[in-house]
Amino acid sequence: MKSVKSTITKLSLVVVAMYGFSYALVPIYDTFCEITGLNGKTNEVAYTGSDIEKENRFIKIKFISNVANSAPLYFEPAVTEMVVQVGKPYNTHYVMKNNSTKQLHTTASPSVTPGKFAEYFKKIECFCFNQQTIDSGEVKDLGIQFVVDNDLPTNIGDIVLSYTMFDITNKVVEADKL
Amino acid sequence: MSTNIDHIKEEHHHQPSGLMRWITTTNHKDIGSLYLWFSLLMFFIGGFMALIIRAELFQPGLQLVVPGFFNQMTTMHALIMIFGALMPAFVGLANWQLPMMIGAPDMALPRLNNWSFWILPFAFTMLLSTLFFESGGPAAGWTLYPPLSLQGGNSMPFVIFSLHLLGASSILGAINVIATILNMRAPGMTLMKMPIFVWTWLITAFLLIAAMPVLAGAITMLLTDRFYGTSFFTAAGGGDPVLFQHIFWFFGHPEVYILILPAFGIISTIIPAFSRKKLFGYDSMVYATASIALLSFIVWAHHMFTVGMPLAGEIFFMFTTMLIAVPTGVKVFNWVATMWRGSMTFETPMLFSLAFIILFTIGGFSGLMLAITPADFQYHDTYFVVAHFHYVLVPGAIFAVIAAVYYWLPKWTGKMYNETLGKVHFWMTTVFVNITFFPMHFVGLAGMPRRIPDYAVQFTDFNMIASIGAFGFGLSQLLFVYILFQTLRQPVTAADKSWEGAEGLEWTLPSPAPYHSFDTPPKVD
Amino acid sequence: MNRLSALIIASLASISSFADWEVNMPRGVSPTANAAYDLHMLIFYITVVIGVIVFGVMFYSIFHHRKSKGAKPASFHESTTVEVIWTVIPFVILVGMAVPATKTLIMMEDTRDSEITLKVTGYQWMWKYDYVEDNVSFFSKLDNKSNEARQLGSKIDVKKVDNYLLNVDNEVVLPTDTKVRILLTASDVIHAWWVPEITGKKDAIPGYINELWVDIKKPGVYRGQCTELCGKDHGFMPIVVRAVPKQEYVKWVSLNQKNRVADKSE
Repeated sequence: MKSVKSTITKLSLVVVAMYGFSYALVPIYDTFCEITGLNGKTNEVAYTGSDIEKENRFIKIKFISNVANSAPLYFEPAVTEMVVQVGKPYNTHYVMKNNSTKQLHTTASPSVTPGKFAEYFKKIECFCFNQQTIDSGEVKDLGIQFVVDNDLPTNIGDIVLSYTMFDITNKVVEADKL
Repeated sequence: MSTNIDHIKEEHHHQPSGLMRWITTTNHKDIGSLYLWFSLLMFFIGGFMALIIRAELFQPGLQLVVPGFFNQMTTMHALIMIFGALMPAFVGLANWQLPMMIGAPDMALPRLNNWSFWILPFAFTMLLSTLFFESGGPAAGWTLYPPLSLQGGNSMPFVIFSLHLLGASSILGAINVIATILNMRAPGMTLMKMPIFVWTWLITAFLLIAAMPVLAGAITMLLTDRFYGTSFFTAAGGGDPVLFQHIFWFFGHPEVYILILPAFGIISTIIPAFSRKKLFGYDSMVYATASIALLSFIVWAHHMFTVGMPLAGEIFFMFTTMLIAVPTGVKVFNWVATMWRGSMTFETPMLFSLAFIILFTIGGFSGLMLAITPADFQYHDTYFVVAHFHYVLVPGAIFAVIAAVYYWLPKWTGKMYNETLGKVHFWMTTVFVNITFFPMHFVGLAGMPRRIPDYAVQFTDFNMIASIGAFGFGLSQLLFVYILFQTLRQPVTAADKSWEGAEGLEWTLPSPAPYHSFDTPPKVD
Repeated sequence: MNRLSALIIASLASISSFADWEVNMPRGVSPTANAAYDLHMLIFYITVVIGVIVFGVMFYSIFHHRKSKGAKPASFHESTTVEVIWTVIPFVILVGMAVPATKTLIMMEDTRDSEITLKVTGYQWMWKYDYVEDNVSFFSKLDNKSNEARQLGSKIDVKKVDNYLLNVDNEVVLPTDTKVRILLTASDVIHAWWVPEITGKKDAIPGYINELWVDIKKPGVYRGQCTELCGKDHGFMPIVVRAVPKQEYVKWVSLNQKNRVADKSE
């Protein structure tokens, strides 16, 4: 019966390990997304490097916006299209207006398509790194500073950058209560 | 079931009688019977839900149920059939057969065995009770994709808790199976001498141990996302709804094979018995089963080609998925080669096994078509997919279970079923299963999405045919229940070796098999 | 008896009157849908051939190698040669399938050089369309007639409703012979956008953006549906695309742009 016990021990360890593995899939997935550009995830912290060089190459970027769950927000890009030089930093912004009668907390989620080019779109500064608080009726300019990495492959089409704005007021208020 | 033998044994072991006997039993045969009866009950509950679905889909327009309830029915039908009917049926067969096939007196862990069964009735009572909640039962599909599943009503934590219980039950069962097979084989029975059913169950048990904890993780994350402010699956907090699909199908695809590998084992046992010829390519059968199991861990994303993966990902998952056709093909070819120049007879278990080979292969063909990513963009989430997985699960897995019951029933009870009725059952089942599921290929290709309670009028005719088939299939299974009860009322007449060509240790035991299978281990050479 | 046969004939006629008995995937009107159709037929024919061979051998065996015909069982039970052959041959066939499939896939994922961009947003339970360059934007949901007829106990004969469940209030208008890039996202839960004759489906995921492209070669009206379970009215958010020649499209855009400007000034 000793061997039965050792079988059980080993198998139980496998069970625990596989349960742990399901959680490990979360960071693995994030890394995987970053490498392959799955879902067009872009960098979540500001790019601070300096290894990007200016190149005599231009690329068109389209800006689009979404408001999740039909939240009472106006949220649109100030400019819908930019032709940018690869390697040169640019500034642009989105405009958000709170159409509700109360203060709202929001957060934005960026996404780039084609996804495989997401890693070349580097954000030096972005409103999506932080949450926003916006009063009723307030209009805010939300800035982005970005640079397109010169490692970007040639002969690619236009890049589309999309931001989805989420109203997270309930979550923030609940967290404050705790 | 085996009353006279039980009586003798009861005196030996001072067993409680009546209901307490079944609640406290640690005997592999008792527990096997419990599993099988429970599975039959769930099969009818899940089938009843399927008939509600088919009744609503009999013609376009909503006649019977509202869309929300329809979605609850599709979700529950899947959960009940997968976790309540199929998995317990295979565990029941394992309980009955494994000790007898490897020459052991019982399972390695009898008390754990009792636990893993008795968790089930509680889990399913809880799961089914959600249908009576004011906000209804789960309606986001059995795959529970967020964000939709996070919108669900109060039923969600109950559904997740019952899934946790079911997972725990399966894991305990799997540990027991592995411990039994690895430690309790008769002297001389090396791994490569084990009956093929034992092999397929060993591999299935490993799949269970690797896959079920991942499901547990995924649904726990859903729970914390909903109630504890985490955001694994919401973009607002840096999460990603697609991540859930990856984790879910990392469990889900091995789960699919958990439902089919033991069926392969059953067919590989029955075909040689009625061909009166040894299984062709035993070794390659074992290797094929093992490679299917290994491949099942690297193909998951073919369930979600449409989420917008990078090209490299789509190509990788397309290739690995196509690769599964190789070992599966080997199995089918081996079965055909086993029959080749055999001396075949066609009793009910053999008929169900032959239908399995043909209809499962048809399901395999549509599976191969689904693997082709560009074509899958058309097939995905249509009735073509519904047709595909019902072909591999109904005339696939369920036919195997029915074949196994007919095949081993004389060993379990010492009584022979009525062969004529068995054949009637077979023909009704086979005809109706095709009337039900074959037209689904057509409406799927013509563009009917799955999981819709109502459809455009051009899909009417095939839906009517499918609904008629479904009711016919349901009624045919009542005949199965009748055959089972009629058999139990017979006197004990079955021979120890009930089938001329049957091979294996279980046929060296008396029929019905004694309460403790092998008190002294047999010698295998 | 006469009356019975008349009844049978009448009921048969009524079935065939609205039955297409459509059993296959429709041929497409854009390169991607056509490529999918061709692959579908190719794989289908391959599986049919394999099926005929395998089941042929099996049925031959079933009819000839049966005990009632006095067949005596042979004793062979393995053959490495045979087993290697039937491992290798399927593998070769698979490679033969994989090559055209991969080519098609690469073609489908190439959204470069598209002329217009259509953004599609899934809502519970309707679609929103934004023509990114042309400043046209509108919602599109199930038309009223279907919506009335589909209610439980509506007593309306759905067979008399025009394009029951496949009609919308506002159609998407797209130009023919133009590469259109379609961006997909959702507001609340995951949806999937599918118009079989134009393109395969792709998921619309809240917070993220997906894309596909179409190039419709034939003017016409093409219908599709949401294909990812998105809640109770999942079955009731159809898609209608009207493909028109370019000049007509330009006219349509200018007409609808004005409307949008008017909306904004409110």
